[in-house]
Amino acid sequence: MSEQDFHPRIVAFCCNWCSYAGADLAGVSRLQMPTDFQVIRVMCSARVAPEWIIKTLSAGIDGVMVLGCHIGDCHYIAGNHRAAKRFALLKEMLGFVGIHPDRLRVDWVSASEGTKFQTIVTEFVERVRELGPTREFVTAHRRLDTD
Amino acid sequence: MNTPEVEIRERVRQLLDDDRLPGVLGLRAEHGHVGPHVFNSADDLTALVLEPRYGMALVCQAILDGSPKGRLGVVARGCDERALIEMAKLGQVDLARLVLIGLACSEQQARECMCTRPYPRRIDVGEKVAGVAPGDDARVQQLLAQDVQARLAFWQSEFNRCIKCYGCRNVCPVCICDACVLEEMCWVERGKIPPELPFHLIRAYHIADKCILCGACESACPVDIPLTTLYALSQARLKELFDYEPGLDVTQKSPLTTTLEETPLHEL
Repeated sequence: MSEQDFHPRIVAFCCNWCSYAGADLAGVSRLQMPTDFQVIRVMCSARVAPEWIIKTLSAGIDGVMVLGCHIGDCHYIAGNHRAAKRFALLKEMLGFVGIHPDRLRVDWVSASEGTKFQTIVTEFVERVRELGPTREFVTAHRRLDTD
Repeated sequence: MNTPEVEIRERVRQLLDDDRLPGVLGLRAEHGHVGPHVFNSADDLTALVLEPRYGMALVCQAILDGSPKGRLGVVARGCDERALIEMAKLGQVDLARLVLIGLACSEQQARECMCTRPYPRRIDVGEKVAGVAPGDDARVQQLLAQDVQARLAFWQSEFNRCIKCYGCRNVCPVCICDACVLEEMCWVERGKIPPELPFHLIRAYHIADKCILCGACESACPVDIPLTTLYALSQARLKELFDYEPGLDVTQKSPLTTTLEETPLHEL
């Protein structure tokens, strides 16, 4: 399968107050971007538990984005501070056990940044295409499992 | 010069007789077996031994929980003390009720455990020797030198031996949740071994900001999964990202629960 034929499956966790509105704005502004992602709306980027990311990636999703408000603009004052710290550590651990850390992207999109949302999604989908499917990882694991 | 065992016995006797402590927790050899025991002033202290090394933190907690008041002495190595400090942060033990007898490990012991800090804060017996920093761990370095695919292959071959006995979780002094996510069906499928990667990764992440690298999990593991290699990496990164080390000070908060102003994040 060539890189162009591969349509990754991507999950984007967007916070209710900024990034989801940013994604919405990108939509109503009819900005063009790849459609390989699904948005899951969460109340805050700190609501995204590391378990979710670990489970999502190992269940065969090719990439996960966590998008929140800009640092300093969090609706809950410091939720995104915690998200920033958690995922910085999680990325290192994912890389160490053999899941490419670029499969997780944490970024900040405000409600008025429709174009930034477009850029992030386009870049991320491109990067995940380069990395290829995680199916290899999942099936390798399942195969060993049934032996 | 006296052996550490003799010195420890002397110190325990002092605490029991002079300081009127009701009991001191240590290891006792009996009928060729060694196990934790609370020595009181009537006990024969020559039965107190220091080997094999055995984590005292969870035993301490059980004893303190079982008696509502009173103090307890403990023969504590560096790892025991760090575990107790982390447990105190989590509200599991009351440090004010404990009297620690600090025992520093020898160079050989430190090497066997790949210990980061083979000594407690206050050393009563033994000499302080340098530990191995988690980032300098040879096993970690060796894996980091490989590419992502090779690391995955390595960990898969290790994790595929897992029989999901939950031993690593049960002996862990800082795994304290009553309701463990590893028993929830949405994260870990029931009745299926080996568990998939999330089992190990979720546990590693959950203790990432409190693991004191005592190595109890790895010695409990019946299939010898090199768990401390994974946890050493997370500790090395925790140090680099937040300049934080668990188990050193009860007043220090985990960086994952504070704001960026309180503990800044240093990009790697």
